[in-house]
Amino acid sequence: MRTMRGLLCCLLLLLQTGCWNRVELNDVAIISATGVDWQNGKWVLSYQVVIPKAISSQSGESGSAAVNVFSTTGDNFRIAISKASEETSRRLYFSHNQVVIIGESAARKGMGPLLESYLRNHDSRETVSMFLSKGSARRMLEQLVPLEQIPGAAIQRMIANEEHGSSAFRQMTANDVLMELLGSAQATSIPGLVIAGEGEGTDSVGMLGKTTTPTKVRLSELGLIQGDKLVGWIDDEQSRGLMWLTNHINKTTLSFSCAGGSKSRASSSAKILTASTKLTPEHVDGKWLIKAKVEATGLLMEYNCPGDLSKPAEVEKLERRIEEEIKAVIAEGWEAVRKQGVDVTGFGTLIHKRYPKLWKQASADWKELFPKTELEVEARMKLNSTGMSGRNFKDAQKKAGGG
Amino acid sequence: MSEIKQAAGTPLSASVQANVHAVNARFGSSSDLVVRLFRSDAAPERVIALLYICGLVETDTINESIIAPMMAMELPPYAEEKGDLLLESMRACVVPVSSVKDVTTLEEALQYMTDGRCLLMADGSAMALLADVSGGNQRSVGIPQTQTVIRGPQRGFVEDVQTNVSLVRRIIRSSDLHVQTHKIGEQTHSNVAVLYLNGVVDPSIVKEVYRRLADIDIDGVLESGYIEEFIQDESFTMFPTMMNTERPDTVAASLLEGRVAILVDGSPIALIAPTTFFSFFDSPEDYYQRFDIATFIRMIRYVAYVISMVFPAFYIAITTFHQEMLPTTLLISLAAQREGVPFPGLVEALLMETTFEVLREAGLRMPRAIGPAISIVGALVLGQSAVQAGIVSAGMVIVVSFTAISNFVMPEFNMAGTSRTIRFGIMIMAGLFGFLGIFLSVLFIMVHLASLRSFGVPYMSPFAPKPKKAGIWRGVFIRKPWWSIVLRPMDTNLRNPKRQGSGRRPPAQRHSRQ
Repeated sequence: MRTMRGLLCCLLLLLQTGCWNRVELNDVAIISATGVDWQNGKWVLSYQVVIPKAISSQSGESGSAAVNVFSTTGDNFRIAISKASEETSRRLYFSHNQVVIIGESAARKGMGPLLESYLRNHDSRETVSMFLSKGSARRMLEQLVPLEQIPGAAIQRMIANEEHGSSAFRQMTANDVLMELLGSAQATSIPGLVIAGEGEGTDSVGMLGKTTTPTKVRLSELGLIQGDKLVGWIDDEQSRGLMWLTNHINKTTLSFSCAGGSKSRASSSAKILTASTKLTPEHVDGKWLIKAKVEATGLLMEYNCPGDLSKPAEVEKLERRIEEEIKAVIAEGWEAVRKQGVDVTGFGTLIHKRYPKLWKQASADWKELFPKTELEVEARMKLNSTGMSGRNFKDAQKKAGGG
Repeated sequence: MSEIKQAAGTPLSASVQANVHAVNARFGSSSDLVVRLFRSDAAPERVIALLYICGLVETDTINESIIAPMMAMELPPYAEEKGDLLLESMRACVVPVSSVKDVTTLEEALQYMTDGRCLLMADGSAMALLADVSGGNQRSVGIPQTQTVIRGPQRGFVEDVQTNVSLVRRIIRSSDLHVQTHKIGEQTHSNVAVLYLNGVVDPSIVKEVYRRLADIDIDGVLESGYIEEFIQDESFTMFPTMMNTERPDTVAASLLEGRVAILVDGSPIALIAPTTFFSFFDSPEDYYQRFDIATFIRMIRYVAYVISMVFPAFYIAITTFHQEMLPTTLLISLAAQREGVPFPGLVEALLMETTFEVLREAGLRMPRAIGPAISIVGALVLGQSAVQAGIVSAGMVIVVSFTAISNFVMPEFNMAGTSRTIRFGIMIMAGLFGFLGIFLSVLFIMVHLASLRSFGVPYMSPFAPKPKKAGIWRGVFIRKPWWSIVLRPMDTNLRNPKRQGSGRRPPAQRHSRQ
């Protein structure tokens, strides 16, 4: 009896706790994307809230958009977020936030407060993808994306697709950004988003009913961050060169011209299947020399140059041609970065790891040293397959006609 | 004085009339007591009485084997002189029944009569003969109702313990199969048979079974469940520490593994002890069909058991505490289902689980004729309509029905009941504390399981404590091919732990090469 009474007391104690931090699914506003802008001396946070009812297959009304966007302002991030309760009936739920888009103005002002808030709070996840936007971040959130119901998720999938299929940009998660900004060089790069096309934004479901949308969100240019501020942009091709240099190429398509040189038209292309870049820093006469060794394999996808590829010698020639092209792409990217003077290449970290003592001296004036750093690229390309035909189509045609 | 007399039993009188009267008085002139008085040509002045209880005996046998020869009997001349000799002669020369006993007390006589023997008395003898003519209507041996297999014997136990023992003996045709029968129940005098395989079983376990059976003092035993509750190791546990089976082949398999089986009169369900937690996951069919398929199915059983215990709790915890753990698309689709549902997740789950339990119980108890009605009510009204009305979410219905189906995978019904009951507790813990609650519950259950014993054998054996026989645990999750099951699975002091020689793997190619 005594034990029963004791058990009963324990049970009652259990009930006293209530349901801890229980949150029902219909008490939260699931946020799929967040935008950060800097306007009139205040932070403007924009939220893309998912409306589950509009998405579910059974009760989905095709007339309404699956997301709703609203903004709050404040002197700091958390006060802005807490103000959300003034205009929404549910608690903002950030754990499923897919992307954070930072407006150009906010990025130039400095991302410090945003990153601070990311480091400190447990409901904000470091796996979220970060983007810069040219213009207002809120405008990006308002854009609907064809094929996908939740625009935030769509942008996240877009960068993942880009990273795996084309590799001009790579996905920068909050974690990546934090690691690089807290690393040796304190610089990072974040892909940018623009609204391409003319006219009004694609912000109503009705517009998705047409075969084309007047405007769309697309990835464009890579923003270079030094410290916590946006310093400058490099374009898509330069960004691809940077990805080659920093060993972030997964799969990409490389176009090249028959003769080489910048004037001739790049009429052929190869698909790069694997690529790896090894960097070794060397200290020569007070300057740094980075030796890059690139190894790549690929398939020939399109060939509009002369030569019979059924002969191994021709294929080797072609491989040398592609190697040159890789070097050229890397050089283009490197020059652009060097001009901006922002070490997004990871050279600083590399030197720090390899020569910790020398780095101690170098780190103080790395900003001056970095643009003076020399890069030496050595490329090795292996074509696994040239496809099903030997000569290009026109040559084959000529041969058939002549023969 | 009279008490002492009763303890020893009331002696039978030499007068048939007095004895018949006494028996009749003891039975309260019950209408099913048949008394037949007759005289034989051989001893015309002596009254011979035949008493039996109709329904318990084979009337044809009585007519042909007792009354007829008795009436026409010819006795040696001296037999008439003394009543005792008359009876003795009747037994020796006249009654063609295989089992005949003689008794001297009234109590004994009554006892045997209720077992289905007929009582024979002759004037002038203070003794009585009891001829075994038991019979009457019994359910015939048929297909087991509760534990079905596709491949395997299709015979199930019946209510008669003698028949049941014979069913086992038909499988194990060895003199090593020992059967000991006890009578338990002040009023019911139920036969309780203990079966074991001598030379294999750990004798201390048999001794322990006898000791515990001897301690039972109850007025009636109607089913083996009575015995189970008296002899199990731990009363206050939800986990069964004895296995129940309706199948003679399961009993035989258990005996071969060195376990003890207990059969109880009036129940087609046999008890098997000692039992470990993991043996509840074996179906007899595992050992009849291909080992690879059986292994796969056994894995499914383990998974299903875990699902039936924690799945609703898991759902509650994830949707009310740990939404971040779900993939975004799944979260959104769950959130869409929950729009407009008035109850919190825990209440919703308890509601649906209770509904299902009510449905299940109703389906079990209601008259068979209205059976189809329950599926309509269950499937349409409570499933579809509840979702359409927005009272519960569709996801919850899926969770509850999957949990319910998983529960029926268990080959042992008593173990299935355990997970069904514990589920509610875990659900409440999950509703209060999320995953932490589930973890605490599982931890508590684990500790509890490790503390259980079944007739001295640790319940979690062969995992905890560390087994004495190396590698014995492999047979728990994997149904090994028969040729590789060398050891008997129980980690006890078996007399003979090996069940076959090792190295009996069949050669790869046996066809003759020419």
